[in-house]
Amino acid sequence: MQKKLFALLSLLVLASLVLAACGTPAATEAPAAATEEAAATEAPAATEAAASGEGTTLKIYLLDYTPDTIAWLKEEINPAFEAAHPGVTVEITEGSWSGWDTTFSGFFAAGEGPDIINLGSEMNTLYGENLADMEAYLGEGAWDEISNFGPALENAKYDGSLRGLPIFTAPRYVFCRTDLMEAAGWTTGTPQNFADWKEFASTASVIDPATNSLTQQALVPVDAGSMADWQWWLLVFYSLGGQLYKEDGTPNFDSPEALAATQFLLDMRQATYGEAVNAVGALPAGQGSVIDVDDATGKDNGAVCLAHSGWAAPAFDRPTWDKISIEPFYGDPENFPNSKPVVLAFNDWLAVPEYSQNKELAAEWLKLAFSKEGNNKWNETMGLIPARNDSQYGYVTESAQLQREAELASQYGVGFAGIKEAAKLSTIMQDALGKLITEELTVEEVNAKIQEEYIAALGQ
Amino acid sequence: MPENPYLNVLLMAALTVVFIIACSYGLGYLAKSIAKLRGASPKKQESTFAGYFFAAPWIVGFLIFVIVPLGFSLYWSFTDYRIASGEPTTWIGAKNYQTILFDDESFRASIVNTLYLTVIGLPLQIGVALFLAVLLNQKMHGERVFRMAFYLPVILGFNTAVLLCWRLMLNTGTGIINQIIRGVTTAIPPLGYVSRSLIFIEEVSAAFFLGLNTGKYNLMMKVIEAGFPADNRVPLWVQSPLWTKMSVVLLMVWGCGAMMLIFLAGLNNIPKELHEAAQVDGASPWQRFWKISFPLLTPYIFYNLVVGMISALQIFEPIFVLYRDNQPVVSSTISMVYYLWQKSFSHFEIGYGSAISWVILVIIMIVTVIQFRLQDRWVTYDIY
Repeated sequence: MQKKLFALLSLLVLASLVLAACGTPAATEAPAAATEEAAATEAPAATEAAASGEGTTLKIYLLDYTPDTIAWLKEEINPAFEAAHPGVTVEITEGSWSGWDTTFSGFFAAGEGPDIINLGSEMNTLYGENLADMEAYLGEGAWDEISNFGPALENAKYDGSLRGLPIFTAPRYVFCRTDLMEAAGWTTGTPQNFADWKEFASTASVIDPATNSLTQQALVPVDAGSMADWQWWLLVFYSLGGQLYKEDGTPNFDSPEALAATQFLLDMRQATYGEAVNAVGALPAGQGSVIDVDDATGKDNGAVCLAHSGWAAPAFDRPTWDKISIEPFYGDPENFPNSKPVVLAFNDWLAVPEYSQNKELAAEWLKLAFSKEGNNKWNETMGLIPARNDSQYGYVTESAQLQREAELASQYGVGFAGIKEAAKLSTIMQDALGKLITEELTVEEVNAKIQEEYIAALGQ
Repeated sequence: MPENPYLNVLLMAALTVVFIIACSYGLGYLAKSIAKLRGASPKKQESTFAGYFFAAPWIVGFLIFVIVPLGFSLYWSFTDYRIASGEPTTWIGAKNYQTILFDDESFRASIVNTLYLTVIGLPLQIGVALFLAVLLNQKMHGERVFRMAFYLPVILGFNTAVLLCWRLMLNTGTGIINQIIRGVTTAIPPLGYVSRSLIFIEEVSAAFFLGLNTGKYNLMMKVIEAGFPADNRVPLWVQSPLWTKMSVVLLMVWGCGAMMLIFLAGLNNIPKELHEAAQVDGASPWQRFWKISFPLLTPYIFYNLVVGMISALQIFEPIFVLYRDNQPVVSSTISMVYYLWQKSFSHFEIGYGSAISWVILVIIMIVTVIQFRLQDRWVTYDIY
């Protein structure tokens, strides 16, 4: 029995060894190819062979794109790329913004992962040190089409060098339901200073006494419940002419603009929900956008104005659009003369990590997917504004809403980028702003807390 | 490596088998050699080989997936290791521990929040589990269906659908939980006073715990000054920092099915003769529960307390599920392990995160040792 067991196990070992041996030569070749690829980073022109990518898989990691976008990439872009680069296979992996940070930290810790990763606006500073310098492949000297990209290109840079390419611009506008405004007795359109916003919040918010909850909320910013999200704070701050950093590089949360922004968030929150200890309930969850009408019930979802990206607004074919205005956020010109209309521009972009062994191939794929037609098509599937200026045709100009959005973005767009230690600032601000809405801390204490903790986070 | 992904998987599987077999042989022969050196008989040597050979896959797995990461984690806890900084890992001695224990206010806040969830949530969880177990221990039609229904949350865990359901249920205005509270308090007005009293007590206690975090109790004073809640007040669940922790407690209680099963097993182990004798002596069901069932259930309560305490001190999922995208209120309920996750995977401070994990381990060990030391005072093993 023991002999039979020994024979069986030995056979298994041998079989496994044979299988392993089949795979070994390719595995040992990899480092050599990797070395060539690494060299290609420094001298792209000298490594055309690497670009052919014999037997290579180009891995792309995308976050939360629509099935239409993925289908288009898989059916049109990837086959075209593979045909132009024989021996190369493109593999797309779909992830989610929920948990992206954990996933990406795994890639960077292991030093291996996809060749192209999907990042958000503020992540150029977060991951910059770990992203490849793509100037040699995508910069002006290497690709003349780069000049067609709009201001979103800045979000794809770190330390002055390109790390990838932006896909779209998704600014935050102020969408308002004009019919609901008029019904609430507000006839002067979208408020254009803080005093008007506060009055509007009191006038147009409706509380149902039976449920002690809002049935109509005058303004729904990012995070409707708290009305104190850090991104909303930054939009208000920028609209007052605020600068996140002083000339010496230290944070500017002790500036008058910062104090006014925090005070505005608190005032709006209290005008809508009341004081913290007697706050009313939030809007019920409805189907579709909060400024749209619920088809199932025929009732409004409850928001009069929405300060958010276009994707949070109703779909373009909804009849509600006849009654929706699109404006920037105007700041508070009466009290802050440097105020300016602002739309805070977010964008998704694709970056190439430093660990990638296929940088040149990644650049080639990016050039194809971000061609004039490619960038247009990619965004058409999502109804967003292409990052390339010359891609803003077709569905962009045919849609009155998108055209208006594109105009506002080019006139008043402020990038959500260049934030140092963005993840830490986010945590610091959310913590402090959470204590603002409970009135545990005063406005001054909140700003002092952010200033102090952010200085520490920056190591200053 | 072949480019075909299917072949890659097969190859990796084959290599894993080879690795496991090689390790098993290696460990078996090592154990056999040691036995031989100790003068064991050939039969004993062979059985030693067989024992270690078959145990080896688990031993190797434990070494690779537990001991090695533990070693790395311990090493990193003494370093400044940041994934995204692009800088090499540097040895900084006990600086991380020093910061955590003496300077990090956020970690202290996470300890206070965890304490709330443990002190309020765990007794509620155990109480509800015991109550359900006693109910389901009765002979009735469909008892298995009920048992399954109450155990189902343990199987479901905290997935996206569960998250959506809870968010809808906890909505202040239209959520089913508040609808029930409104319905019941409207139908039976005296219960309205009970409900408002509980709201007041909860808000004062939550404000107290929030005050512990900041060292300022102005919110608690405001809640007290605001006085007895108005008659249309309902819990603000996931919306207000005063209710965020209680919402997590609700999810903890919802997941009490595993504890319930342990209690059910315990109740089944109690000899029926004891209850019958007490019944003959005229004891009421209430008296029988407190004088017979409860004392004999103390070993099970102790087990659930130890396991539940460890679980509560490591709580992460319910907070992540409810507040991941609701950032301004998350700091009011952030737990030690959520803070560890935030530092490690959001701020990429792996060194600091590793140190936090070791501090949490020490805290859990201390609490568990205390529980074991105190068990002699209240746990009875008389009939076991």
